[in-house]
Amino acid sequence: MKKVIIFIFSVFVLSSCEDTYLNPSTASETQTVNSQAGLIAMVNGLQSKFTTTRAGGIYNWLSADGLTTRSLKVLNAGNTEELQLETGGASVLNNNSLINNLWNQSNLVKSNANLIIANINNAPDPAVKSGILAAAHLYRGLALGTLATYWEKAPIQVAVNAPFATRQEVLQEAVKTLEAGAAAYAAQTPSSNFTTKVNATVNIPNTIQALIARYNLMLGNHDAAIAAANKVDLSVKSGFSFSDVAQNPLFFVSFGNTNVTELLANFGLPTGVTASATDARRVFYYNTTAGMNPARASFFTSNQSQIPLYLPGEMILIKAEAQARKGSVTDAITELNKVLTKTTDAWGIGAGEVAYAGEATATGVLSEIFKQRQIELVFSGQRLEDSRRFGRATTERTRSWLPYPLYERNNNSATPADPAF
Amino acid sequence: MKLDYDLFWKKCFPSAAAKFFLLFLAFLSFNAVAQSNVTIKGKVTDASGGGIPGATVKIQGTSSATASDVNGDYSISTSLRAGSYTIVVSAISYSGASKAIEIGNQSVITADFSLKDDMMNLDEVVVTGSTVKETRRQLGNAISSVKSDQIARAGSSNLTSSLQGKIPGAQITQNSGDPAGGVSIRMRGVKSILGSSDPLYVIDGVIVSNASNNVSQAALSNQIGSASIGTNRLADINPMDIESINVISGGAAAAQYGSRASNGVVIITTKKGATGAPKVNFTTSVSTNELRKKVPISTYGKQFGFAGLRLHTIGGISAAQIAANPGTTTVGIVRDGVTTQLANNLVDVTRYDYQDEIFRTGIGTENGLSVSGGTDRTNYFVSFNYSNNQGIIKGTDFARYGLRTRVDQKLTNWAKLSVGISYTNSNSDEKANGNVFYSPINSINISNNIWDITKRDAAGDLLAVEATRVNPLSTIEDMTFNTKVNRTINDFQLNLTPFKNFTIDWLFGIDAFAQVGRGYIRPYPYQAAAGLPAERYPLGYASTTNNVSTFYNTDINAGYHVDISNDLKLNLLAGFSYQFSRSDISVSSGESLSPFIQTVSGATANITTGYGLDRYNLSGYFGQATLGYKNLAFVTAALRRDRSSKFSAEQANQLYPKLSGSLVASDLGFWKDGGLSNVINTFKLRASWGHSGNLTGIGTYDRFWKFLPVNFLGLNTLVPDATLANPNIKPERMVETELGADMSFFKDKVGATFTYYNQSIQDLVVPVVRAATSGGTSIIDNVGNMTNKGIEIGINVDLIKKKDFSWNAGIIYNRNRSKIEKLGTGMLAITTVTGAPIYLIEGEAPSVFWAIPYARDTNGELILNAQGFPQREKGVQNGAYYTPQRDAQGQPTGSNVNGIIGNPNPDWTGSFTSDFRYKNLGFSFLLDAVQGVDVFNADFRTRQGVGIGEVMEQELKGELPRGYVFANYLIEEWRVDNGSFVKLREVALTYDLPSIGKLNNWRVSLIGRNLVSFDNYRGYDPETNAGGNSDLFRGTDFGNVPIPKTFRLQLNASF
Repeated sequence: MKKVIIFIFSVFVLSSCEDTYLNPSTASETQTVNSQAGLIAMVNGLQSKFTTTRAGGIYNWLSADGLTTRSLKVLNAGNTEELQLETGGASVLNNNSLINNLWNQSNLVKSNANLIIANINNAPDPAVKSGILAAAHLYRGLALGTLATYWEKAPIQVAVNAPFATRQEVLQEAVKTLEAGAAAYAAQTPSSNFTTKVNATVNIPNTIQALIARYNLMLGNHDAAIAAANKVDLSVKSGFSFSDVAQNPLFFVSFGNTNVTELLANFGLPTGVTASATDARRVFYYNTTAGMNPARASFFTSNQSQIPLYLPGEMILIKAEAQARKGSVTDAITELNKVLTKTTDAWGIGAGEVAYAGEATATGVLSEIFKQRQIELVFSGQRLEDSRRFGRATTERTRSWLPYPLYERNNNSATPADPAF
Repeated sequence: MKLDYDLFWKKCFPSAAAKFFLLFLAFLSFNAVAQSNVTIKGKVTDASGGGIPGATVKIQGTSSATASDVNGDYSISTSLRAGSYTIVVSAISYSGASKAIEIGNQSVITADFSLKDDMMNLDEVVVTGSTVKETRRQLGNAISSVKSDQIARAGSSNLTSSLQGKIPGAQITQNSGDPAGGVSIRMRGVKSILGSSDPLYVIDGVIVSNASNNVSQAALSNQIGSASIGTNRLADINPMDIESINVISGGAAAAQYGSRASNGVVIITTKKGATGAPKVNFTTSVSTNELRKKVPISTYGKQFGFAGLRLHTIGGISAAQIAANPGTTTVGIVRDGVTTQLANNLVDVTRYDYQDEIFRTGIGTENGLSVSGGTDRTNYFVSFNYSNNQGIIKGTDFARYGLRTRVDQKLTNWAKLSVGISYTNSNSDEKANGNVFYSPINSINISNNIWDITKRDAAGDLLAVEATRVNPLSTIEDMTFNTKVNRTINDFQLNLTPFKNFTIDWLFGIDAFAQVGRGYIRPYPYQAAAGLPAERYPLGYASTTNNVSTFYNTDINAGYHVDISNDLKLNLLAGFSYQFSRSDISVSSGESLSPFIQTVSGATANITTGYGLDRYNLSGYFGQATLGYKNLAFVTAALRRDRSSKFSAEQANQLYPKLSGSLVASDLGFWKDGGLSNVINTFKLRASWGHSGNLTGIGTYDRFWKFLPVNFLGLNTLVPDATLANPNIKPERMVETELGADMSFFKDKVGATFTYYNQSIQDLVVPVVRAATSGGTSIIDNVGNMTNKGIEIGINVDLIKKKDFSWNAGIIYNRNRSKIEKLGTGMLAITTVTGAPIYLIEGEAPSVFWAIPYARDTNGELILNAQGFPQREKGVQNGAYYTPQRDAQGQPTGSNVNGIIGNPNPDWTGSFTSDFRYKNLGFSFLLDAVQGVDVFNADFRTRQGVGIGEVMEQELKGELPRGYVFANYLIEEWRVDNGSFVKLREVALTYDLPSIGKLNNWRVSLIGRNLVSFDNYRGYDPETNAGGNSDLFRGTDFGNVPIPKTFRLQLNASF
């Protein structure tokens, strides 16, 4: 019997079925960042994260921008998160999902871009490496710039309890990272091994310069803004593209129906600012079919509609504004007139109006530039920044700055106090 | 690292099986020892001398056993080695007895037994897991049993709902009234945040899946938050096949199921054949399902403003609207310091109650036939069952047919084989889950009821209703969601008794099912007019989902019984088990369907497809020793070591110790022989302490940081998951202490059990929130700690117990308090689409409602604002709590604050049963109570805001001031209802018909189920959950189908 018991015991002890199961439907960090193909896939991941779904960057960026500056109107009060931003002030809670999403996606795009940049040497082909690097810097810059557009402070670093930098510092970092991207691109033009594997509708070199121009204008670096804007080829379109699977989120969520938000009449211009009745941009930006959402036009007509990264008009208006602020009123008017009188551009936008006939003063020109930015760039996510930069009355917006998300405050001891408005 | 094959079949199974067969051969040779043939027979009687049928007679330490016949006679023919043996007899409701015999040369031994009544069934042998059986006497834990007749009386074709009100310590909630709706069981509270709190289900030793996989409604998989919808797969089990269910709420099964035991274990034993002529059992029934109560929907023919005004009770009105609708007048209502102009003129409209268009009386049928019997060496049981149950929503039903076979074969006098095979096929026709606005009930709740929804155009198509809303009839006529399941659950068991007092059992179990789900939403013919948003799939939608799941478990258990002395006995048990789980799920869906095409083949846009593979295994050993003194005091110690592939090598091996003891004090000499036994005739004390785990606390791949593929513009795309991972995460661990007593009083007239437990769940896995600036928005980590403390009381009284007249009553009372002792992160929101503000907050019960409260004075009365309306609370927020502030006028001041406004965890649950029998007539009922529970009644508010509810009607009639709904609308506390209820869960009238020829046992029953609910709930039914089978998303009423009231007429016949 003893033998039997020993035998049984040995049977029990010897049985072993130790193993690890991996998920064949996901990749690991090690796999991804150590391969060139993995890094390219991550570049596409940056765009996907920033642009798609209701929780993604673009939906929350353009919605928050329109709601806080009264160009968008909430159609059904059941959309409480959107409603908070439309009401503004203290009604905007720290746990507002638009604010959370905009903050989270911008910061995650930034940290994912960092991961790509840190592992760039795992891309052995120099003509692929330069493309990955330029694109990663582009999205990193866009993420930082977006943060600086809506928050007074934001972390540049990725860390637990990451310290907050001022928006000037964040914008400077955005410009720096974009310039690094431009340099990488200039040093080695990416080959088709890169360009055929990423979304070709995003024109990397032009977009980088356009963003440098945009953020330099926000920083008040007028010469740098003009220089960068001059480098942008205005005949080139650069846009985020979508598909029926990765849908244009503004169309999918809001403008494809009449239940969430719509574009207010007259571009939601503030009191005292009026758009000409004949302005051809009305036709461009408004859908007048009865029963349809008025914003179901141009960039938002279907799930596949492209959303531009920048508009030619923005580049011209940046130059106009920078010249005006520098005191070169004549140069400013020259640029301004290009926008007023153009009948079309790469995206088909044209005011078709007459040249500027107002006062040839910086104040006069700037007020016209403000109006043109409101109309031409109504969906460019620049309205809140413009409202602040042009010193408009706070009654024209529902918030000047967004509060910091509750989850950030609860989990990052460095989170600054919320702005009152 | 293995990627694409299952190690179990390649490595583990051959090794385990080969080893067992080696053992088997070893015993074959070992057992070539002289034996003598002997027949042991006798009679088992009760105190009055009547024969006890069905008593188990067993020769201890051997595999020889039988059951007594209808007269109480038994006979065992066997061959055993000469020596002394003990015959042990046990029967339900009687105490056990034993007799020593000496097997020598005699060929017949006679042994009669007279058994005493024992209401507490201390000598009943219960299955405590896998192949392990123990007497209640020696268990240190509470174990409750439900027998087949209690299940039969429930009048339900669903096994889980049949158990409602019958198990101490379990809260069983039917989450939906859909015929394929889920039923959740939670024992002693919630055990996990990220994982399931669903107990482990074991049928005849096979660990079976009770998963809820949504395969039919892929359309809404991203639209329902954390809700877990769909049928939980115990629905595949035919209740008529069940002999008994033993429920182990605590850690008693920790040795057998260590790392899966913390949620409790439900051990289901199916019917077996008994030696004798074939016995046929036939059951047929027909039932009706009806809506128990409608919710108030106004048909008062008025509306504020103008007919086209949406949300007329709460929608602010603009100057343009006034201009466009002459006659519109407004009143300014101040809410939170902001004035909103509301229309206050009335216009005539026609209102309809759409409930009449979607509800119906459903018909159900159930038919079952079983045949059982056997010879000395072979016993068999076969059954066939078919049931079909129509839901109260038009177009919903659940049909199931199943076959089951069990064969027990004696191979030698020391080896027995038992094989169980079952197959089930089910079909459920569903409508969209209540969480979406294209579900039947939600489509009613969110649409103003001023359209005649039955109107059609020339082509016969339905017309649009309110803009962006779905015509409720579309949900019935133009959408189908269907699930088909093929399932087989099989077991193969060898029970060996190679020599006296030594047993070795091998069990192999397999549970495999394949689900095919299909969803179809027809393109809405009225989309142009309705402008439905994309989430309602205006251009049509179709999906197919396939899920194939396979679960194996193989257990080898060896037991050895040692008589240390006459008084001191030792039971040793050791075992090995291996479990493996695999699920392959693939989904494809698409939108914009071509005309007439109802499948994804006709989709022309947003066509997506995906595949998921989930695999894990678990292997473990255990050893257990029970020391018994004079069959009245027992101490058990056990240790289990488990390893699971879900965890990293450093954390994979886990040890689970257990210690328990029991003392049957009433068997002590002074008690038994003294006067005390006349008052308290049974008194057993028990205590246990043990560790157990929760393997489902993390998902299979949760310890890895996932880089997820995304279908993006045809480009290779990977996105790092925003949820980071701790590769070194470990399983949650529950430490439980349990104390209890089982007693009977007054000559076994009154039985009582009492249990106290204290569970501490350590290393609780929490999705810890991270600041996004750290590189992720959450990380899954062991940072929490949770406790469940409570008591369970069961009382059973034989009020009358005579031959022709008996009356028995029972009470169950459960009280549980769950508390998150440590969350390790700030408040955690549980995502829902219902507006239910469900949060996890440190120091509170797992999941509470946390949102906007009313401003109340010190007496709890609402503080009204200048216009006389209730208002939200203001003050100072401190984390989850707040301090109210008042200005000089006593009005709320300060910041807007949020607080805990409700708790979906009940104060107590309980039931009362009464079973009355006079001659051939029986009458029984069960009252089931859930008390002190809050329900977030989202639908109630929606109906008022949409302008169809009862409060809206009062406002229209001027019984409430204009603006009342508007003023309350954003205060979430308005939506919290007291969800306490007492339900007449079951009521059954049975009549045993006189025998006709061979038909000696037939019975007709009229059974009612859920006929009455005593509650103050402002909806259909407080027993509901939009979260489905989710453990944390609970107590929410949002588009849910109410539980029907059911009448069933049933005929049973056996011969």
